[in-house]
Amino acid sequence: MSTPTFVDTLPHWLRKRSSVIVIVLVVWVILATLLRGVDTLELSTATNTPVTEWFRELAASIRGSRSEAWIFIFVFNPIRAFIQGFVEVIRSVIAVPGSGDVIPVIGWLGVVALVGFIVYASSNWRTALLSMGLLTACGMLGVWIDTMDTLAMTMGSVLLSLAIALPIGIWAGLNDRFMAFIRPVLDLAQILPTLVYLAPLALVFLVGIAASTIATMIYSIPICVRITAHAIRSLKAGPIEASESMGSTRLQMLRKVQLPMARRTIILGINQTTLAALSFVVIAALIGAPGLGKPVIEALTIRNVGNGVVAGLAVVLLAVMLDRATTAAVQHSAEIPPEGDALIRRRIGLAAAAAATIGAIALSRYQLWAAVFPERLVIGSYIGNAADAVTDWITSNFYALTIGLNQNFTIHVLNRVEAVLADAPWYLTIIAISILAAIIGGRFVGVLSLVLLTGVVLIGLWNDAMVTLTQVLIATAIVMLIGVLLGVAAGRSPRVERALKPFLDAGQTLPAFVYLVPVLALFGPSRFAAIVCGVFYASPVVVRVVADGVRGVPKDMVEAAVSSGSSTTQVVTKVQLPASKKSLLLGANQGMIFVLAVVVIGGFVGAGGLGYLVIVGQSKPELQGKGLAAGLAIVLLGIVMDRIAQAGARRNEKQPT
Amino acid sequence: MTAVTAIDSQVQVDTDAAISVRGLWKVFGEDANSIIGSPEAHLSRPELLEKTGCVAAVRDVSFDVAKGEVFVVMGLSGSGKSTLVRCLTRLIEPTAGEVFFEGEDILTASKSRLRELRRTKFSMVFQHFGLLPHRRVIDNIAYPLEINGVGKDARYQRAREVIELVGLDGYANHFPEQLSGGMQQRVGLARALAVNPEVMFLDEPFSALDPLIRRDMQNEVKRLHKDLNKTMVFITHDLAEAMKLGDRIVIMRDGDIVQVGTPVDLVMKPVDDYVADFTKDIPKSHVLTMGALARAARADETVSADPVDADLIVRKAIPRIVNSTNPVGVVKGGATVGVVGRDDILHLIADDADEGSST
Ligand SMILES: Nc1ncnc2c1ncn2[C@@H]1O[C@H](COP(=O)(O)OP(=O)(O)OP(=O)(O)O)[C@@H](O)[C@H]1O
Ligand SMILES: [Mg+2]
Repeated sequence: MSTPTFVDTLPHWLRKRSSVIVIVLVVWVILATLLRGVDTLELSTATNTPVTEWFRELAASIRGSRSEAWIFIFVFNPIRAFIQGFVEVIRSVIAVPGSGDVIPVIGWLGVVALVGFIVYASSNWRTALLSMGLLTACGMLGVWIDTMDTLAMTMGSVLLSLAIALPIGIWAGLNDRFMAFIRPVLDLAQILPTLVYLAPLALVFLVGIAASTIATMIYSIPICVRITAHAIRSLKAGPIEASESMGSTRLQMLRKVQLPMARRTIILGINQTTLAALSFVVIAALIGAPGLGKPVIEALTIRNVGNGVVAGLAVVLLAVMLDRATTAAVQHSAEIPPEGDALIRRRIGLAAAAAATIGAIALSRYQLWAAVFPERLVIGSYIGNAADAVTDWITSNFYALTIGLNQNFTIHVLNRVEAVLADAPWYLTIIAISILAAIIGGRFVGVLSLVLLTGVVLIGLWNDAMVTLTQVLIATAIVMLIGVLLGVAAGRSPRVERALKPFLDAGQTLPAFVYLVPVLALFGPSRFAAIVCGVFYASPVVVRVVADGVRGVPKDMVEAAVSSGSSTTQVVTKVQLPASKKSLLLGANQGMIFVLAVVVIGGFVGAGGLGYLVIVGQSKPELQGKGLAAGLAIVLLGIVMDRIAQAGARRNEKQPT
Repeated sequence: MTAVTAIDSQVQVDTDAAISVRGLWKVFGEDANSIIGSPEAHLSRPELLEKTGCVAAVRDVSFDVAKGEVFVVMGLSGSGKSTLVRCLTRLIEPTAGEVFFEGEDILTASKSRLRELRRTKFSMVFQHFGLLPHRRVIDNIAYPLEINGVGKDARYQRAREVIELVGLDGYANHFPEQLSGGMQQRVGLARALAVNPEVMFLDEPFSALDPLIRRDMQNEVKRLHKDLNKTMVFITHDLAEAMKLGDRIVIMRDGDIVQVGTPVDLVMKPVDDYVADFTKDIPKSHVLTMGALARAARADETVSADPVDADLIVRKAIPRIVNSTNPVGVVKGGATVGVVGRDDILHLIADDADEGSST
């Protein structure tokens, strides 16, 4: 520590940061217990505050000026029309009949064949077959049209996102100043929970395809920009210098050297962008995105588990297909292109596949069975019924495990933490958090926390924010526990890692939204359900980060410990964990951000808090202002948590160990 | 091959030289420009770093490279060799000084002129090859032609020629990662030769190769130089390599030039202990020519009938002399310049042995 903090003025035994933190926590809990119920700023859902009232009026005036203000006439409305038109074209090809038609341009068989061909051309026939199988399975679930709508929305969003993100990413990769300029935006985008974009966008672009596509783009563009810029920045310097020494112009260098060399990583970025877009398109059903998100939301709101499970399953199949296809494309791009016989075989294969695809498309335009997914093949309703039956059976036979677990956890953990955060005077909570922030992250972070949290109070949603924060903190703690246990195991043993890999992959591919359905079915609408979802969603990332950290501990350090007679536990606790402290903190930060995103969505499953207000604001006009304000409060909360964790991680890095 | 070596920056530039460098500086760091001409410029490198945070990688360097010459730059790691050679083609922008190519001022050349020079007159070979991993060997070699707008057929034809020249026949359609290090560097050489440049810059081209392959590649460069007679600026930190390839060698230390000279100069007349330390392991008989050793015949000597060439290295002349008690005549361009006897050579070898044992 270069600058002396107030810690330096304390007696020696108090200088250890951990003991100071414990003391602050103890004092906080005692005071919160004594002052329970005082100045909690609790507010019933239906009540507006001056700030939310102001947001409501703002929203009303925006709605009123949609057809008048120049910014709408010349900017927002044309954008909306363009994006809507673009996505509608894709939809009319694969999903819905265009005007005057009875079927989309290409029927289901044609779509399956076309997808197979594209995947084959960009990777190999095995992945192509898998993709075709997964798509057909979506049809068999009885949600073909919804699947196509989701696919069309995803494709439309991805294409538009790439059109914007690739140039920006390339520029950011080439130009330091531009990178410095957009970095804060990228950082902010990373911590914004998905739910908060929706309401403002719906307000400006109307509920519907345009708003949901734009929301999806806002979510996926930063991911793509980040990876593209990284791809350009991490290129080896040698070939670039060589190319410069031969007199390449900058454009030649970019086209012939940098882009081809960065291609693999850029395609990886497209993979990530696609999965992000898919998961967002599902959530964007909230503001009118067509497709599989609709039945999922219905399932959540009217608790129709069967339908939700079927739709959720289709989302999963689609996600697996998009992931496999783009991952295979990444691998394919790194392979040495075929030559001689292999090249001829590949060309023949491509020609045959193209012919078959054209045939299938033609069939799908003139034969009903190839145009509309045959009812005979649909087994979705069986799966839905089975899911309902299984849920009933579990909830009635394992009551203790589901509802019982929920209740016990709620009484003994959730309520107690919430009592300290939410049921205490607001100023006590703010001061306590800010002091902890200052100890962990330094004076600046302390002041920032103080200011932003006071902002939440001024917005008037303090109590709801603390309800959300409670869930986030508890879920993060559980995630860290799981992350450290599994992460250390995976980091130490390749066998464990291999066993965990499918789950980790699945966890990172699946849209968070689809977890909600089974969790809701098992645990009922509750804060506990939201926490479970958050834990499911965030754990894979943290396990991965921790495992990487443990694996990164130098071998000789571990060997030295083992050879001096340390037990396994000692090696883990005294060597591997301390040495990978940075990964642990990074994991905690990531975990917290992921948890926040899901806990907010947990508003759907009875988690209350800010997320609930966002969702209610979506459906009740008189609470729209409150929904918008809640979105703002979520952002403030997210920034505070991220800054504390980041500053903690940075500070730890600087300290000599 | 003679070269004018002007160390004084006031001296008129030798327009016959391929490259002339005058008072060249490269200082890394913020505000590097303000250091040139200030008293700080005279500080040693560590002192300068301590005081200003700047690194003087190249300090006030001047030399000429003659056409067709192999000019070797030598020095320990960090002595500024790479920086120097990159300043010559402005891959690194020098902080101060002048660089002339055939009399043309490089440092004031426009961007497009510089690009033209890089495309047609200069080429470079790198320690880590710098090949484009996504291109086949032939496309790597054709790359400099491609960016210069040469049509596909013409550039492939030229690429095939140089592929043959460097002995890579049959590998045209491989990707760099499929080749060994030595073969990759052959691709690097071929690429540098493709545009038929006038000057080649080679920055430690063989340092990443193992010793046997390195020797092969050195012979390759010697052969190419003999056949094509290109001007070469060759960087190395390996003295044996420098002695083997260099017509002249410049020794650098902490950004300064310590000595410029022929291999013989460096071995026989090191200007200071630093150079002497460098060269002390080189046996004199390996660098001295018979011409340098020649003396006037004494009256009592009978010179054997068959004379040797003055440019012949002493070591290579040993078999010629070992069987005769009489000294041999040394001729240069037909004229006899002196004689060398068996004793003279034995004395020389004895000197080497002395110095060897003193280390
Ligand atoms: N871009 C840079 N910024 C700052 N300092 C640099 C930079 N490039 C080189 N230097 C410094 O300049 C000095 C000379 O470096 P240079 O690479 O020219 O040495 P070299 O003789 O080629 O060494 P080597 O044999 O290791 O290649 C070194 O002290 C190096 O740290
Ligand atoms: Mg170097």
